[in-house]
Amino acid sequence: MKKILLVAVREFTATVFTRAFVLGLMLTPAIGAIGATLVPRMMARSAPVQGQIAVVDPTGAVGGELADALSADRITGRRADQARQALIQAPESVRQVAGSDGGRAARFALGSVPQLTVVQRPPDTDPQQEKAWLTDDQAAPRRLALVVIHPNAAVPSGGVYGNYDLYVPQNLDDRLENEIYQGLREAIINARIKARSLDRATIEGLVRVGRVASITVTKNNERRTVTGFNQLLPAAFAALLFIGVMTGGQALLTSTVEEKSSRVIEILLSAVSPMELLAGKLLGQMTVSLLALAFYVGLGLALLVSFAMFGLFNPWLLVYLVIFFLIAYFVIGAMMLTVGSVVNDMREAQSMMMPIMLLIMAPWLFWIPISREPNSTFSTIVSFIPPVNAFAMLLRMTSNTPPPWWQVWTSIAIGVASVVAVLWCAAKVFRIGLLMYGKPPDFATMIRWIRAA
Amino acid sequence: MSAAVLLSGVTKTFGATRAVDHLDLVVPRGAVYGFIGPNGAGKTTTIRMMMSIIFPDAGKLSVLDHASALDAKDRIGYLPEERGVYRKMRVGAFLTYLGRLKGISEGDLPGRVRRGLERVGLGDCEGKRCEELSKGMQQKVQFLAAIMHEPDLLILDEPFSGLDPVSARTLRLLVHEEHQRGATILFSTHVMPHAEELCDHVVMMHRGKKVLDDPLSTIRRQYDPRAIRFEPLDRDADLSPLAALPEVERVSQSDGGCEILLVNGTNPASAIPRLASAVPAARIEIARPRLEDVFIRIVTGGSDAADTESLRTQLQAGAEPKAVPV
Repeated sequence: MKKILLVAVREFTATVFTRAFVLGLMLTPAIGAIGATLVPRMMARSAPVQGQIAVVDPTGAVGGELADALSADRITGRRADQARQALIQAPESVRQVAGSDGGRAARFALGSVPQLTVVQRPPDTDPQQEKAWLTDDQAAPRRLALVVIHPNAAVPSGGVYGNYDLYVPQNLDDRLENEIYQGLREAIINARIKARSLDRATIEGLVRVGRVASITVTKNNERRTVTGFNQLLPAAFAALLFIGVMTGGQALLTSTVEEKSSRVIEILLSAVSPMELLAGKLLGQMTVSLLALAFYVGLGLALLVSFAMFGLFNPWLLVYLVIFFLIAYFVIGAMMLTVGSVVNDMREAQSMMMPIMLLIMAPWLFWIPISREPNSTFSTIVSFIPPVNAFAMLLRMTSNTPPPWWQVWTSIAIGVASVVAVLWCAAKVFRIGLLMYGKPPDFATMIRWIRAA
Repeated sequence: MSAAVLLSGVTKTFGATRAVDHLDLVVPRGAVYGFIGPNGAGKTTTIRMMMSIIFPDAGKLSVLDHASALDAKDRIGYLPEERGVYRKMRVGAFLTYLGRLKGISEGDLPGRVRRGLERVGLGDCEGKRCEELSKGMQQKVQFLAAIMHEPDLLILDEPFSGLDPVSARTLRLLVHEEHQRGATILFSTHVMPHAEELCDHVVMMHRGKKVLDDPLSTIRRQYDPRAIRFEPLDRDADLSPLAALPEVERVSQSDGGCEILLVNGTNPASAIPRLASAVPAARIEIARPRLEDVFIRIVTGGSDAADTESLRTQLQAGAEPKAVPV
């Protein structure tokens, strides 16, 4: 046991006390921080889109309304309205960051308010000719859309209201197209209200029922419901698991390949048995991964505390994160060690890594179906199949509808069994592969080693 | 006293190749054993089995009274043929790490590392990264790692390969010192002169089988030479009268003279005056049997001269000889 610990300590120090590790650890949060501070500022500084929208309006009532509805003031007002609705169930701190009127969040999400000019065409204009106007992509200002209002759009004909046709050039920004849709909707409604000599404010007062923030009630307390958090949590946990497994797994692979290619391995084997070496390396890199995991979890918790969202988080999930991390780490780590022991250099390792990388990436393919339906048959089955069960079960546990406990513990039991099986096979290949040089063995040869050793 | 290493019927097969074939071996404590043979003879496989790095398919093995070297690793020093260092690690840290793995107490470690480095002339290298050292210096560090814990048994697999003459001499001196300290030494080499210089007992391997296992003195006696080195007084002298003598089986040219192989059963003492009278000589001497010659004689049975020369060439190049009819 002492020798295992000595190997583990060397693995830990050789990995952690390097500039590459420290930089790697800091890189992700640094990118996140830069993204959170610089990107919105840079986006806010982008020049607003300017352009013309041609309107053919046989009703004579919609064109003018459209010019009002697409004015910068009205667009800003509509965006702020939408942002307020979207943020109504966000935590107080998030609302503060987003701005009291939601304008900052809207600017970040939708960009600068466009400067649109509505150009009214004669009512009898041929739409085909106007389409040619639209396709002149050298024109300044830009030509953004052609709207043809139906004759019965403001006043019904035979009891039926008409609509409009919208023509746009290639590659028009979806957000801009959406602004045009909303402007058209507002303009046509206003035209219809005026045609009926009604008062818009009265109608709006009749139809508006403001959305309120719901209150989540638990046995111990009650608090304002926060939505969105439960969608982010599974992704955050899956990312943590991925980072943890990749940190240790990658280091296991490179350190084993280095020891083999530098021919230090046999010197080590004169002092420790292959099994002690394997166990020490796994243990050492496990602590490295746990350190990285603790760093990121700590950072996440600090963010939750600073946004006053810590109460939304179930700390028990961290215990399960560690359990499922250990399962995933030992399975993937043992596979990485196996690859490292049978190859001569990193180039050979890359080609053998492909199946393992697919296993690691598979949970990301399952993320959306599992997050949407955490208790579907698919989700349940995937959370029992090693080695992806660790990722799948963690996604389910952090979802809105966690699985029953018997499923969680069955998944853990299957995970532990898979760890034992993979370690058993890895140990056999590791022992033989370490001293083999030359052409790496194929899969069939490794199976033969497992059966023979 | 029990043997340091004991092998009985040890066999190891890799696929279709039998690397070691029913090997019996006893290495007494305190001996210096040379394990010789060309590359591919089975030396490294045997040593790896002694070290319990790989395990025999059949046979029994005992190292320092343990059935597995794993139980006595801290009493064994091992310098493998395939050896290296952690390139980025500092020399002192590398030796400290291996010293810890070998069970040296924390209190003793710094002193042993420092003294060891000074002993091999690397006193100023403790803080250097291993990659900063030359290959010869790295080999000294590796050797130091093998002896730092003062092992009872020192196994050296091709210890002189890749070393310059000065470093090889340093290493030979260190091996000698370890033997003087009381360690049992077993070293393998395919360079026969190294074995002739260092060991007092030789085990020869060929194609996985032991073909010789005797003290060096016995070998020299047993393989009494029939070869005479002859240097004529006149360097341009005609040497054909030598070949015409009935005692002479073959004359082969060598630098500045020739080597004369006597007919089996001929007494060299009686043959020398006749050779000198046939061609005036500047120097005549009985050639000492070299392990290389002994090996070739054992393997070829002294049969075909062409095969012998081919085998010698391959042996000197360190390659596994091709099949030779025995």
